[in-house]
Amino acid sequence: MKDQEPKQDRTVAAGEAPTNAEPAEIERLKAENAQLKEELRREHDIYLRNLADFDNYRRRIERERASAALAGKREMVLSLLDVLDDFERALAHVDESPASVAAGLRAIHRRLAGPLEAQGVTPFESAGQPFDPALHEAVGSVESDEQESGTVVDELSRGYRWGEELLRPARVRVAR
Amino acid sequence: MAKAVGIDLGTTNSVVAVMEGGKPTVIVNSEGNRLTPSVVAYTKTGEILVGQLAKRQAVLNPENTIYSAKRFIGRRYSEVQSEIKNAPLKVVAGPNDAVRFEVQGKLIAPEEVSAQVLRKLVADAAKYLGEKVTGVVITVPAYFNDAQRQATKDAGQIAGLNVLRIINEPTAAALAYGLDKKKNETVLVFDFGGGTFDVSILEVGDGVFEVKATSGDTHLGGDDFDKRIVDWLADEFLRDQGIDLRKDRQALQRLTEAAEKAKIELSSVVETTVSLPFITADASGPKHLEYKLTRAKFEQLTADLVERCAGPVKQALSDAKLTERDIDEVVLVGGSTRIPMVQALVRRLTGGKEPNQSVNPDEVVALGAAIQAGVLAGEVKDVLLLDVTPLSLGVETLGGVMTKLIERNTTVPVRKTEVFSTAEDNQAAVDIHVLQGERELARDNRTLGNFRLEGIRPGQRGQPQVEVTFDIDANGIITATARDKDTGKEQKITISGSTQLSREEIDRMVADAQSHSEEDRRRREEVEARNHADSVAYQVERQLQELGDRAPTNERARAEGLISEVRQLVKSNSSDTARLRQLASDLQQVGHGLASAGYGQAAAGGAGSQASPGGAGTGGGDDVIDAEFRQSK
Repeated sequence: MKDQEPKQDRTVAAGEAPTNAEPAEIERLKAENAQLKEELRREHDIYLRNLADFDNYRRRIERERASAALAGKREMVLSLLDVLDDFERALAHVDESPASVAAGLRAIHRRLAGPLEAQGVTPFESAGQPFDPALHEAVGSVESDEQESGTVVDELSRGYRWGEELLRPARVRVAR
Repeated sequence: MAKAVGIDLGTTNSVVAVMEGGKPTVIVNSEGNRLTPSVVAYTKTGEILVGQLAKRQAVLNPENTIYSAKRFIGRRYSEVQSEIKNAPLKVVAGPNDAVRFEVQGKLIAPEEVSAQVLRKLVADAAKYLGEKVTGVVITVPAYFNDAQRQATKDAGQIAGLNVLRIINEPTAAALAYGLDKKKNETVLVFDFGGGTFDVSILEVGDGVFEVKATSGDTHLGGDDFDKRIVDWLADEFLRDQGIDLRKDRQALQRLTEAAEKAKIELSSVVETTVSLPFITADASGPKHLEYKLTRAKFEQLTADLVERCAGPVKQALSDAKLTERDIDEVVLVGGSTRIPMVQALVRRLTGGKEPNQSVNPDEVVALGAAIQAGVLAGEVKDVLLLDVTPLSLGVETLGGVMTKLIERNTTVPVRKTEVFSTAEDNQAAVDIHVLQGERELARDNRTLGNFRLEGIRPGQRGQPQVEVTFDIDANGIITATARDKDTGKEQKITISGSTQLSREEIDRMVADAQSHSEEDRRRREEVEARNHADSVAYQVERQLQELGDRAPTNERARAEGLISEVRQLVKSNSSDTARLRQLASDLQQVGHGLASAGYGQAAAGGAGSQASPGGAGTGGGDDVIDAEFRQSK
């Protein structure tokens, strides 16, 4: 019985509410309702935002994971290309050495270039091509009778691609 | 969702960063680099190149390639005479004495050049983020006047950007270190970049920064250090070989690159070798350059450059009417602050204070700008700053070890469930001992609570499945629930305030675990070896029971001998893990023998199942039973 009584009280109170409640009370509840709705909207917005943030993040991480492995090797490969450049400079003077030494040097050059090529590091030809800053770094310009202005005259160091992307631009001189 | 980014629009290089998951991150440009050269080129074909590409064609097109537009932005022609001398550009006076670059017969304002840089940065950012960039915060030196600030803002508008705010570079750097949360502190920002040196003194209070003084040298930077090395190498070579490499453009370029590399190396090692084979050739044949450069020699070559930084620091202090003792925080910005001698100078000038340098000095300004952008775009306020659990949470399992359910530094809210089982036959209740800490054994960790789940249906050990769930809400309140999967009976406990340990307490607990890791690992191994041997003994014992008389006498005798030895070792808490492992393996052999001999099939399931370390056999289904609970008597 004790449990019943308060319950009845509440029913009565609820029944009388529409007539007895102060308009101020209704206003207060309306305001509170609006405020709660606004809060819910904001919270939901934050929720969606975070969800979207995370989704974008995950997608990018996936994209980056592929290139991250490449980026890790990049520094290493670039420093090997420096050595390859040195070899090419050496080979330009190779005739000054005995034939047997020259043959040995060429073999070492191939031993260095081979594994790089196997990794997808490929040189590209620049001489005779129109100068393109996406592939070439200009070191100077020269007078040239044979080449049209804006054409690469010669390479000072070779350019390399790694797969599709540019690994290192070619250092070139361009016809004036 | 559109994003707001922060941009460090530098004299030599620019950087763009964005808030991501509540933290600022640098955005790589379309060429895959974190720094974008602040260089813009107008080519003969009418193309506009920005960044690395502009730089690559600069020697072919010097009069139409604009470097360092920042030195001219918002300034009058009459003010920049000294700058014009250094630039290969044609600089002229425009309307109202404003600076204009004459490019291919057209007049271009520095704002338009900076707009090109901004446009590229934002386009690359949008590509990287996969969404539109709406707002930007751009940084400027603290000494920029109103005209320079307005012109920088105009550059943003020319680029079609909504410039949320222009903020000072030193302020951005301080923001990146969270110094805005400090109360009434004085911060000295030492910004030593590629081509400029700025020193600023800020006062921070209530999240507001006030610039008290600035000083610097607009033509002093890392490039000057490179030049000193180049000259030294070239002089040595001239003395040894009689050839001046500075006259050979290609050799000079190789020399400059090698010099910069040597400088960078000397920040971490005390000696490096500059090696440039076939650098040149004369009638006698090819020549190679190879010189050893020590840090000491490098410091001798550049001592006067470093000393030039001292004057502006002292000047700024005196302008702010402060002494070195008044400086609370020092922030290092710019790549040249990696040079040990520069760091030593900063320490000397600031009373030996340890500078803030944990954030990459090339990126710190952009990162701070990104934080400001996040705040202004309402992101930072709205982003829930998610907490992490400072310590691991778990339960005690058989042998007094702690089995972790949630590892430390897990972002909350989080919920983890694992299934455990009983340690004895017909165990009617399990005790859940909720633990917090990093140590292997339960008794070394902190007890958060205890409760008991009763009414488990009697069964063999390892059969009942008790699902234990830990749930931590965003406020750090932990609810631990245990549920018997068979009867559905459930019991839970709520623990609040577990994360209210002080920083020191947490650090101590983590350090404790580290210092005890070796001995903890050994003790855990002992427990696991005992549990494993005990579990195998139990299985073989059951096998024998089921086989009854069918088990061959000699096999039975051998098994019983082994079991009794295991029991003895377990009972005495033996630490002889080698012996326990040997016994377990012998018993397993015996068990396999009994099973494969075809004596009853019940045995095969028991002994053949793979017991996880410290655990009973698998209970079937997908659930892995990790460990067992004992019922305290």
